[in-house]
Amino acid sequence: MTQTVPDSDALYDRVIMERARAPQYAGKLEAPSVQGEGKNPMCGDKTRVDIALDATHIQSVRHTTRGCAICAAAADLMAQQVSGLDVAQAVSLSGRFSAMLVGEASPAAPADTSLGPLEVFQPLRSHKARIRCAELPWIALKEALSHADV
Amino acid sequence: MSHPSITDTSGLDLAAIRKQFPILSEKVHDRPLVFLDSAASAQKPDAVINAMVHTMHHQYANIHRGLYWLSERATEAYEAVRDQVAGFLNAPSREEIVFTRNSTEAINLVAYSFGSLLTPGQAVVISEMEHHANLVPWQMLRDRMGIELRIAPITDAGDLDMEAFGQLLSDGKVALVAITHMSNVLGTITPARQIADMAHAAGALVLFDGSQAVVHHRTDVQALGADFYTFTGHKLYGPTGIGVLWARRALLEDMPPFMGGGDMISTVTFEKSTWANVPHKFEAGTPAIVEAIGLGAAIEWVEKFGFDAIAAHEQALTSYALQRLATVPGLNVVGQPKERGGVISFTMADVHPHDIATLLDRNGIAVRAGHHCAEPLMRRLGLTATARASFGIYTLQEEIDVLADTLVRIREFFV
Ligand SMILES: Cc1ncc(COP(=O)(O)O)c(C=O)c1O
Repeated sequence: MTQTVPDSDALYDRVIMERARAPQYAGKLEAPSVQGEGKNPMCGDKTRVDIALDATHIQSVRHTTRGCAICAAAADLMAQQVSGLDVAQAVSLSGRFSAMLVGEASPAAPADTSLGPLEVFQPLRSHKARIRCAELPWIALKEALSHADV
Repeated sequence: MSHPSITDTSGLDLAAIRKQFPILSEKVHDRPLVFLDSAASAQKPDAVINAMVHTMHHQYANIHRGLYWLSERATEAYEAVRDQVAGFLNAPSREEIVFTRNSTEAINLVAYSFGSLLTPGQAVVISEMEHHANLVPWQMLRDRMGIELRIAPITDAGDLDMEAFGQLLSDGKVALVAITHMSNVLGTITPARQIADMAHAAGALVLFDGSQAVVHHRTDVQALGADFYTFTGHKLYGPTGIGVLWARRALLEDMPPFMGGGDMISTVTFEKSTWANVPHKFEAGTPAIVEAIGLGAAIEWVEKFGFDAIAAHEQALTSYALQRLATVPGLNVVGQPKERGGVISFTMADVHPHDIATLLDRNGIAVRAGHHCAEPLMRRLGLTATARASFGIYTLQEEIDVLADTLVRIREFFV
């Protein structure tokens, strides 16, 4: 018994653990164009997202996350991946991220729709109870972008 | 690793007990199941499963209606459980036992029916450590009837603050005190007799939410001085879908029905209906017949071991768990109540409760994580969530070792 590893199927990928421990996009923006918040009533976890937009694109993103490792890493990797996208691209990425977690298993996706580093969350497919944790920051993002005037 | 050893003086034959729970030999993620979530819902012994199956195989029909053999057998079996429950709670009369779906429905029944006798200006007192089941119905009553809802504070240790409680009663406006008999988060066993005495002295009645308490020690509603008492079958090794409200007969007689329908009436015309006698007045519609019979089997099964042995076993486990968890780096047990049942909530520095629960699950260990349906309590404790391990009659000391050892490794993984 004593030799069991805590995590046998790499749900807690190295990238997830690193981002949870040392987030690169944590904090607030001085003058965010839009803000959004996601809350999980099941556990009290919370993410707030600040976004700076120029005319069409997301210039920078910061998040304040109180949550588990999955949620914290998801927020940080989301901030990284949507920086530089335009609003429509960010919303589309959000849709593809959700589809990866809860959608029908599809045959190998074409290269241009690859989710890159976000694919570390793929094992959550078999942890239904935790999918919300990874989706929480994206809920905040979508709320923020719904205020965007583009 | 060597641990301080404990002596389980209960005399329970745990190996034999565990054999009666088929699910306990299941594997989860290829590991032996370590089930430490009995406070959410307990596993079911063969005695319960078989009683329910037997009923459906051999003596199932609707009750109180049919004039044929099967219906009579089913009615007898269902009504026999009422006697059993009365004995289980030491209720003065079987007619004071009302079957409900669960504890939540039992409390809602009281909030609705007893609540409709209250008038604005009167108050209900609950505590800061209530399950939502003993909180939301009273908020609904407050909003419906214009009564006041008062919240009795707890101490930092997780005990009811008796002095503050006394003050809430002092203006004589309190009609009912509704308080948990054992907290599902902190494990606190509340001083029920003292609460009842104080309530009565202030002219109030008292309801105990016994959902957790009935599992761990003998319950005697008369000795407790209770006016209402509720519990839920599935935490007592019985099935889901069956719960109990006990109330003093005079109260039940004064209360209007909760739901209308079949079985709860005496006569019905299009102009007017009259109500059946208690308890049937409160049991509208076809009840959970098979589940009630399952509850009867659960009570018989539990009583076979006796609460002296069960309480001794769970006390020993709980003290052992508190000792073992204290050795896990970064672990903080939430609350240190004076008297505690087999429920321990904890947090770990740098590891979120959800991550704890998921990683424990990867190792076959089932615990609960979250706010445990007690959000206001979490806020009071300055927390958003905890992990919770809870014990039952089948829990082994070795399982607590597995829990503690795995927690050590989870923590190492995170820091
Ligand atoms: C203290 C307490 N009260 C009430 C309940 C509600 O029980 P049920 O969901 O069976 O109605 C629970 C169980 O979760 C509980 O622990």
